[in-house]
Amino acid sequence: MWGLGVLKGFGITIKNMFRPVITVQYPEQRLPIPERARWAVHAVFNEDGTPKCTACLICVKECPDHVLRVESSTRPEGGKHIDTYVYELGACMMCGLCVTACPYDAIEMSHEYELATRDHSDLTRMLLFDVDAASPRRTPREDAAPAPTGTEAADA
Amino acid sequence: MNIAIEILVRFLAMVALLLVNGVVLIYMLRKVLGHLHLRIGPNRVGPFGLLQTTNDVIKLLTKEDLRPAAADAWLFNIAPFLVFVPSFMAYIPLVFGPELAVTRLDTGILVIFAVLSLVPIGIMMAGWASNSKWSLIGGMRAAGQQIAYEIPLLLSVLGPVMMAGSMDPSAIVAAQSGTWFGFIPRWFVLPQIIGFVVYAISAQAETQQTPFDMSEAESELITGFANEYGGMRFGFLYLAEFSNMFIVAAVGTMLFFGGWQLPWIETPGWAAPFVFILKTYIGIFTMMWARGSLPRFRVDQMLAFCWKRLIPISLTWVVVWACIQRLAFEAAIR
Amino acid sequence: MSDGHSWHSDVALEEGRPAYLPRGLKRVPRGVDELATEHLVLNMGPQHPSTHGVLHVLIELDGEEVISAEASLGYLHRGIEKLAESRRYHQVATLLDRADYVSGLHTETAFALATEKLAGIEVPWRASWLRSLAMELNRYASHLVWLGTFGMDAGAMAPFLYIMRDREMILDILEEWCGSRMMFNYVRPGGVFADIPAGLDAKIRAWLRVADSYLDDNDALLGGNEIFQARIRGTGLIDAATALAFGMTGGCLRASGVDYDLRRDVPYCAYGELDFEVPLGVNGDNLDRYTVRVGEMRQCLRLIRQLVDGVPEGDFTAKVPKVFRPPAGESYAAVESPRGELGIHIVSDGGLTPYRMRLRSPAYFNLAIVDEALAGGLVADAIVTLGSLDIVLGEIDR
Repeated sequence: MWGLGVLKGFGITIKNMFRPVITVQYPEQRLPIPERARWAVHAVFNEDGTPKCTACLICVKECPDHVLRVESSTRPEGGKHIDTYVYELGACMMCGLCVTACPYDAIEMSHEYELATRDHSDLTRMLLFDVDAASPRRTPREDAAPAPTGTEAADA
Repeated sequence: MNIAIEILVRFLAMVALLLVNGVVLIYMLRKVLGHLHLRIGPNRVGPFGLLQTTNDVIKLLTKEDLRPAAADAWLFNIAPFLVFVPSFMAYIPLVFGPELAVTRLDTGILVIFAVLSLVPIGIMMAGWASNSKWSLIGGMRAAGQQIAYEIPLLLSVLGPVMMAGSMDPSAIVAAQSGTWFGFIPRWFVLPQIIGFVVYAISAQAETQQTPFDMSEAESELITGFANEYGGMRFGFLYLAEFSNMFIVAAVGTMLFFGGWQLPWIETPGWAAPFVFILKTYIGIFTMMWARGSLPRFRVDQMLAFCWKRLIPISLTWVVVWACIQRLAFEAAIR
Repeated sequence: MSDGHSWHSDVALEEGRPAYLPRGLKRVPRGVDELATEHLVLNMGPQHPSTHGVLHVLIELDGEEVISAEASLGYLHRGIEKLAESRRYHQVATLLDRADYVSGLHTETAFALATEKLAGIEVPWRASWLRSLAMELNRYASHLVWLGTFGMDAGAMAPFLYIMRDREMILDILEEWCGSRMMFNYVRPGGVFADIPAGLDAKIRAWLRVADSYLDDNDALLGGNEIFQARIRGTGLIDAATALAFGMTGGCLRASGVDYDLRRDVPYCAYGELDFEVPLGVNGDNLDRYTVRVGEMRQCLRLIRQLVDGVPEGDFTAKVPKVFRPPAGESYAAVESPRGELGIHIVSDGGLTPYRMRLRSPAYFNLAIVDEALAGGLVADAIVTLGSLDIVLGEIDR
């Protein structure tokens, strides 16, 4: 009979009216973020507060959107000094390629997801500033990824 | 002097009722639709979001009064009021209690539908004067739709009017007191079930709600005839829509559900308005429920549905009921 | 014309029907040819609630009847194909996620398949299986969005909000798996980026337990509703020959009765091993497109059940050199995306980046039919037909 489907629709909506709502009241309620979720890039530090970064620039070459910028100099006693490690958050698409590529686990995809800022300049972040870079030998990666080869640098 | 004060008080009471209704209904619509759709609805402004509508009204009042450069200024300005005033006037004959009405009119039902039939003129004016193609289509649709659905609406009203033998709302309500066979409330919805279904469908169309919201048709015409309106002009169009909702629900309550009367027991005078408002709001909830459940008709299907289904059904029903009543009456006097 | 007033009966009519008379009007009323009527050209979009993004459709109207329609594209053009020429192979997936943002995994997989074909990489069986599982989840999510917006186009608000409950569960699963809700960057040449996390299959099964009843609810709310049926039956007719001539693929083509599904006809990933049916339509109207897609959703659930039960052991990715230079040449690979045949054509000159990449986006071809399908209907039909084509502007404009 014409109209039975219409009535059934009424039944479905009223049934849903007595179901619990699915809305998550965001600032008060927060859903857990899964382990793999990718948000803003953060620098990783050793226990003594020194950065794990060795200024090898692999992340800089890996980033499809060129949002990472590292300026480093050579220390007189040997080793590298990171002048600035700049991260353009506003242009980052959180693909995670830099973190995958980093041989020293010096950066990570954090779970910081509230990234809106009031000022455009806050979107440019200084991940590391005026610190000595770690020695490449001191912090090898656990899963022993292949070290960067000469061709990698030459291709860039 | 006394009469002047009385008129003023009645007028202000009407305005207050209309405005409060508008604010409450908008809040109710959001909450009902929200919960029908597994959402919460407004809950941020004030406790349970109760001040959300107030907030919106303040926003609409303080918005810049914009008018498209190419719009017909005079018609554009006057159209929202032409939509609003008839629905305001339709409050006059409503009967909220035994002695509670703005004024008692012997042809109250007729007055309500007569003034409501002015609404499409305002809507068409709004659509035309906006000088926008979307608004124009929306306005034309609204005119075609409302004029068509007024016919079954009026025909379906005839049944209760015949049963009560009067067009006076208070007489119709009074005729529904007591019971049939001692236990069925003497509400006209039972013998007039066909009339009531036709009334409910036409009322939904008359207030332009889903599945008959072609004139606004969010997904087709953006907001149809109200496209170019902003600020309080839009507020008036919106308010008129909700006020119409209240009116058709109230008229439905009066005609089919015994108005302010409780079933089986004598209604105390003070409770009458509350009973009436409660019944009306149940009716409004049903309309909102339909709004949240159904897709939209197509404009030609809607008109075909009206002219080819509703009008023949309601016409036949009027004739059939007239025969039944006549025969029953003759049987009674014999 | 004569000098008499046009409404007078002595004014002779010209031969033939005036062009501006509505189709289907058999008898020309006297004098109507002098009535000042003109066609209305409506600019639907790029800002319009029912164009699913930034599509601009020029609609020529006679009253409410659509005389002709023309889609105007390019409002969302981001130059994805050109950008791919300056990105290394594993970086391209980040772009392709943004091409078809409703089902990013399909585009990623098409690119990975084309690259693997080019370089001759053997993909581990487990990787193929995981790709299929992720793609089917994504397909279901994409079809849910279509179902909701299709209902929304027809004025039904409820299904759109109900599908969000369902889709949210899928997106939660995919976020836990791929790290992102829509911009997955998960499928890489050689395999997938990471293995399926432990315990995720339980989550998928928990979702599958409710998915059927949710789909039944939505189907009853839309497809079971007589008003909706009247809206979609017989409107937006596309016959099989026209559909083929316009290069339509996917559900839109199958609704016209052409039995063509890449998953079955040109199996890729794990689809050769799976048991599923391909729903077919008869007339190619909106009702057929609706039933085909809903049938496809039910098949999708069936596929997910098979896939989640039989994840094989093995590696999740093949060994791909860090500095990946495929040999010079070209390759084409296509997957059945929710919208149709989604193909990627790569030309390589042996360098680090593709020399040229071309994305065959199915919705682009499906949208081309817009003039044929919309003409003759009413404005309301035009909206519903446009909704039934399931377009995603990110993929059309690229």
